[in-house]
Amino acid sequence: MTVRRLISIVTLAGALLCNTAVFAQEVAPPKKPAPPRRPARVNVDKSTAPQVVTIIHRLNGLKMFRLLLRSEEQVQAIESLDSAFNLMSDVHTNVIAGLAMDDGETIAAWLPEADFEPDISVIGPDGKRLEAKYIGLDAATGLSILKLADKNVLPASTIKDQPVSPGEDVLVFGPEPVTKARALLGGNLYVRMGAIQGRIKNVMTSPSGEVAKFKVGSPRFSHANVGGVAVNEAGETIGIVDGLEGSEATILPAALIRRAVQRVLEQQASVPRPWLGVKGEAVAALKLEQILNRGWEMKRAAALAGKHRGIMLTSIAPGSPAARAALRAGDVILKVDDKEIENADDFTWWLDQAGPSSSVEFTVARPDRPTEEPLNVKLSGRLDLVFSFDLRNRDITTNGFSLIDQGVETIALRAPVASQLGTTAGLLVVYVEPQTPAFEAGLQPGDVIQSIDGKPVSTFRLTTPPASFKFEVIRNKQKLVVTVPTKKK
Amino acid sequence: MRKNYCEIIRRELDERMLDEACSSSVLEHLRDCADCRDFHQKQTKLRRMVGGIGTVAAPADFDFRLRARLANESNSATFHLQSTYWPFVRRGLAVAAVLLVFATGIVVVRKIINRDETVAIQPRIIIDPAPAPVPAHKPEQFTAANPPSSPQRIKNERPLQTNLKPRHPMAAIDFSSQRAEVINGLEAVGSTTVFPLDTSLQPFKILLDDGRGNARTISVPAISFGSQRVLRNANSFAPKDVW
Repeated sequence: MTVRRLISIVTLAGALLCNTAVFAQEVAPPKKPAPPRRPARVNVDKSTAPQVVTIIHRLNGLKMFRLLLRSEEQVQAIESLDSAFNLMSDVHTNVIAGLAMDDGETIAAWLPEADFEPDISVIGPDGKRLEAKYIGLDAATGLSILKLADKNVLPASTIKDQPVSPGEDVLVFGPEPVTKARALLGGNLYVRMGAIQGRIKNVMTSPSGEVAKFKVGSPRFSHANVGGVAVNEAGETIGIVDGLEGSEATILPAALIRRAVQRVLEQQASVPRPWLGVKGEAVAALKLEQILNRGWEMKRAAALAGKHRGIMLTSIAPGSPAARAALRAGDVILKVDDKEIENADDFTWWLDQAGPSSSVEFTVARPDRPTEEPLNVKLSGRLDLVFSFDLRNRDITTNGFSLIDQGVETIALRAPVASQLGTTAGLLVVYVEPQTPAFEAGLQPGDVIQSIDGKPVSTFRLTTPPASFKFEVIRNKQKLVVTVPTKKK
Repeated sequence: MRKNYCEIIRRELDERMLDEACSSSVLEHLRDCADCRDFHQKQTKLRRMVGGIGTVAAPADFDFRLRARLANESNSATFHLQSTYWPFVRRGLAVAAVLLVFATGIVVVRKIINRDETVAIQPRIIIDPAPAPVPAHKPEQFTAANPPSSPQRIKNERPLQTNLKPRHPMAAIDFSSQRAEVINGLEAVGSTTVFPLDTSLQPFKILLDDGRGNARTISVPAISFGSQRVLRNANSFAPKDVW
């Protein structure tokens, strides 16, 4: 009897203690920020991320098709689609972090997809929706810049432009799904702002000596952390995650974010990055055989490989600034405006510093020239840089007539998909470039081109373009004829 | 028949008062029936003996003592029950306590795990259990219940969803025909500001033709977190080794 009573008493006491612990956790007041030392854990107060907002970015069906055209999927036509797929409605939603700058009205975010007319909502730290306007993209960093309609809706935050040091502990903030709440509160997906702790592993400096990037390590990082905002122990913003390599996140430092914001705000539009029109590899990363294969003789190739500097060009885009400057595959760019180039990052850095539409002087070594020679190149600018994006090479709709040249991006539809859209097979217009004759004539994304000048698009052949084209299109299951004057190349 | 008549006569004799005279039929029967005469004599003798005993008066506190005794008996019965069922009750309590300990332990462990996984923003955040109605003179303060008409929205969007009840993600329900409109209210879960994302949850499949007779199916996720590209190499702004 005594033993039983004892067991009962111990059990009840245990339960009481556990409950006390739970309630003690729930009602414990927030800890005061620790002195600015380097303890084992980050002592950032959980309130130190008022500068982090949530951005909800949506892609409708047409934008998704446009991305498909520009991806590596080699799209000729759409064979079939889920019946629920809708061109004008959202088919994908991306939830990412946004950094509110210290002016209280500008937001920088790393949108995953290039979207020049993004459908975006901004949610403040308190969960309330903020009205924001998309200003533009900084192509050099990939950051999108937004401006809040109301300047005083976010609390003041601090951004640290000063260098960071290896060993510093940081928190990477970003929105995350609340799966438990989903089960608890209903079928909807719930979102909250979370953070993962990491530590600065490596700081990479630019050729000019400032921090170009740094890496933060944490075994719990995943691709969902890309775009997250990094905050130091004092609650200062130190950067935005722009990539992930294994368990290390690459951080774009605050100083570069600030410059990107300035560039876009000055232009009040997207700012392209400098474009030369080349592909290449750092000489230091090449084997001697690879250099020889580019037309270099053994002695000079060995000397080049021994220097471990320069960028060897492997291909030149036709019509690009590089092509106009007579650069060729096999050439090695050793300097940009007298700055030595050791690796690809150096080359990118100095080109970005020069800016789009600027003139630079390269020092070039060529396989068929005995000495290095200077070469002046006028850079241009592009918002996207991947060669496969050149849709002109993919315009397979007609011979001798390119819809891309008319500023119209299309994707072919097979019969089952076309019937879903209320038409027969044709070309779905996914984008019409503004200020082109097609745009002015009223051709719209979502139209399905059935015939051009009375001929089905599948059989349309033309060698000499006329003064104008008659597009027979289906729009909202209604047949229309749009006459488009030919755009001169 | 005679026996039945004797029973009737004896019942009448029972009901008769001591000094009450017998009826003529009873007297007539008593003359003829020796058994009933004997019964009558014994009963009369017994009645006289009982009638000769004096009355006994009840004590004044009889009622009080009776009630007290009844109450005492009742307590005794309860104690008896307790002593009978107490071991079972105690075991039940012990089992309940053990269950409580397990449940509390689970809660504690889950809280610790959650705290490790996520450091949530909390103290400065004002958690609104329900979105306050927006004053008419402050149209710029948008809440989920009062979303603004964003100028950067796509032009051909479908009508905004007015039914804001949570939809359950059943496979048979087609969410894609409903706009992924944003926020329909604030809710607090734990200590973090949590908001619902009213969006489709079903991925889409697209069958592509690459122009060389090869068909390929790609699946487009309905939702993603972080800056993750939906499609391979789609609009990369910082491609490697391309300038």
